[in-house]
Amino acid sequence: MSTKSGMTRYVGWRLLWAVVATWFVLTVTFGILSASPNPETSQAAWEAAQSGGDPTETRAILEQRRGEGSSLSEQYVDYMVSMATFDWGESFTYNEPVTAVIADAWVYSAMTVIPATVLAVVLGFAIGLYSATHQYTKTDYAATFVAFFGISIPNFWFAIVLILVFGELLGLTPISYDSEVPFWSLAHLSSLILPITVLATAAIASEMRYARAEALEYVGAAWVKTARSKGLSELQVTVRHVFRPAMVPLITILIADFVGIIFATAYVVEVIFGIPGLGYVSYQALVRMDTPLVLATTLIPVFLTIVANLCQDVAYTMLDPRIDYEGRSR
Amino acid sequence: MIGGRGGAGTGSGSENEGEADGESGVGTATATGTDTSTLTATDTDGPTFDTVDWTAYEDRRRLTRRELATACSLCLYVVLWAYDFSTRSSHEPLFGFGFGLSGVGLTPTNVDWLFGLTLLVGFWGVVVPLWANPRLTRYYWRRIRRNTVAVASLVFLAIVFVLGLVGPFVLGYPQAQWELGHVPPVGFGGTWAHPFGTTRNGEDLLAITVVGMRVSMQVGLVATAISIGLSTVVGTTAAFVGGRIDDVLMRVVDLVMTFPSFFLVLFLVYVYGGNLFVLILILAVTTWGGQARLIRSEALQRSTATYITAAEAAGASRWSIIRRHVVPNVSNTIITAATLSIPVLILYEAVVAFLGFGDPAVWSWGRIIADGQSELATAWWVSTIPGLFLFLTVLAFNFLGDALRDALDPRHEVDRPR
Repeated sequence: MSTKSGMTRYVGWRLLWAVVATWFVLTVTFGILSASPNPETSQAAWEAAQSGGDPTETRAILEQRRGEGSSLSEQYVDYMVSMATFDWGESFTYNEPVTAVIADAWVYSAMTVIPATVLAVVLGFAIGLYSATHQYTKTDYAATFVAFFGISIPNFWFAIVLILVFGELLGLTPISYDSEVPFWSLAHLSSLILPITVLATAAIASEMRYARAEALEYVGAAWVKTARSKGLSELQVTVRHVFRPAMVPLITILIADFVGIIFATAYVVEVIFGIPGLGYVSYQALVRMDTPLVLATTLIPVFLTIVANLCQDVAYTMLDPRIDYEGRSR
Repeated sequence: MIGGRGGAGTGSGSENEGEADGESGVGTATATGTDTSTLTATDTDGPTFDTVDWTAYEDRRRLTRRELATACSLCLYVVLWAYDFSTRSSHEPLFGFGFGLSGVGLTPTNVDWLFGLTLLVGFWGVVVPLWANPRLTRYYWRRIRRNTVAVASLVFLAIVFVLGLVGPFVLGYPQAQWELGHVPPVGFGGTWAHPFGTTRNGEDLLAITVVGMRVSMQVGLVATAISIGLSTVVGTTAAFVGGRIDDVLMRVVDLVMTFPSFFLVLFLVYVYGGNLFVLILILAVTTWGGQARLIRSEALQRSTATYITAAEAAGASRWSIIRRHVVPNVSNTIITAATLSIPVLILYEAVVAFLGFGDPAVWSWGRIIADGQSELATAWWVSTIPGLFLFLTVLAFNFLGDALRDALDPRHEVDRPR
């Protein structure tokens, strides 16, 4: 009974913490934006100065339009309310509300991110487990080397090398993404292969390292010896007696760490291959100084990370019965 | 241990012998219960308990020669910087150099000054203690030497470091030679005049690569120094002061870690601009969270050690315990975390430069890779060669960090074949 209520309280605390973190992120963002020279405004002022206009006047007009004439606290309340009600402003590069732009773009991101995630989890766990059960063999060393390779290779450079080899030299895959190609076609699939490969490489490498390290903790456990001695096959031992206990920490590592790696990589990959997903939209917004869109596209990954962290901690309490909530008052 | 005297009475030799007071006494008090028990066990000729000089625990303690030299060199450095800052309003060089392709003037930027400071601190904090404890150094070296890949990485990084430090003055900064255009590298129809070929504007790719080494080393070392300093202060304070302060600091760390660094960096670069100096600061303040947590947990484990109790019983203040006993004893963790954070920061800088938000005045590897992207079909070497160096540098740091963790942290020994 007490464990149950302890758990509810812990989850409640955790939920509250996620709200605090979100509020904090929004406040810091507001602080940064209002404390700094607005890039958009300075750009306009600079342009005005270039064309012989009066920069101060232009700045004043722009700030008036953005509602910066009002006091800081009013702006803050205004900003928080519009953030909470998903009124995220209008993107001037797309002439559309920011939310509409994002609604159009996320499909393209999902198209590469989801397959890459599945690949990374399956392959990463499989290789990691194999490495752990065959520690210090040639395969293990090779796998470790591949993991180092995947972690160290700069993803943007890897993408360029792949384009050079498979696109330019061998001509097997398209060099950039073409959104005119029909969705269910082989051409579309072949244009997604390279982006997914780049995305998956970094993620597989980190999954593999974690899986190996976690599984190693259980390889020598007494129950593994028991399982072996009662005649189970190596595969059964690995899957049922090593993988299952290792899965709990792995799932929790997976979520938060993974979200960070894959989002950052997806951003760069979309820019290089020209896939019109969230990363590409965000990049264009940065280049064209479209502040509302920049804000939205950089905040979305942050919110997703906060949610992922929350899910991770809650999942941990549900999956691992050994955790004691009483001691932890977060 | 590298941090110095706290770690071991072992090496107490060379430097402290001249002054019988102070340090050697502390050495024994701290030596008990450190994790290099193999070393302390063999140390029989150090001062024993009855020769402990209790003046060490009095308020006015004398500075050692090393501390004096450190303070002096830092002061001198600050004076130099102040002189440079006040006198050099224009872009005239501080010292002139007239060799290389063109006369390269040494006009240190803010980043250069920070880089120099980082090297100075690294010299007094890592090199000198290692030099002063030759036996400890040899012991670590034996452990690292077993790992061939790590030694190769170390050699490679040393070459990159020296080339980055000296190379730009020898090869000169890349100059556009429009009439040259694309020249392929040696072996693909190029000449030894431009071993790595040239860019579209005829800039020598070798010179660009060497300047890129300098940029990467500056970013990696300076940003790491700042972030590791921050996380050491936060981590050890949280562990040793405890209570409310620990709670607050760890919640701050939670918040710092909530931000995915990549997006925070992009956002901050958007707002503040991608000037290399600003970028280094941005990278440093966005990445210290994980290290702080690591150092805190490590310091917490040390807090029950007997040498801490001994220091407390002797009346040492909390701050001095942190500075003289805790930090040196978690220095293994600090060094490893620093080595593993350098490649991450180098990659961040490269990505920012690649996306075109970097410093337009700096020849970063990321920037030249982006330049070459549009002309992959005609000039493959522009993107690939600097990228290869970026890759190898990051790989070498990762290998080295991993080997250091094996060598410096005895608890990781389970990972080695027995």
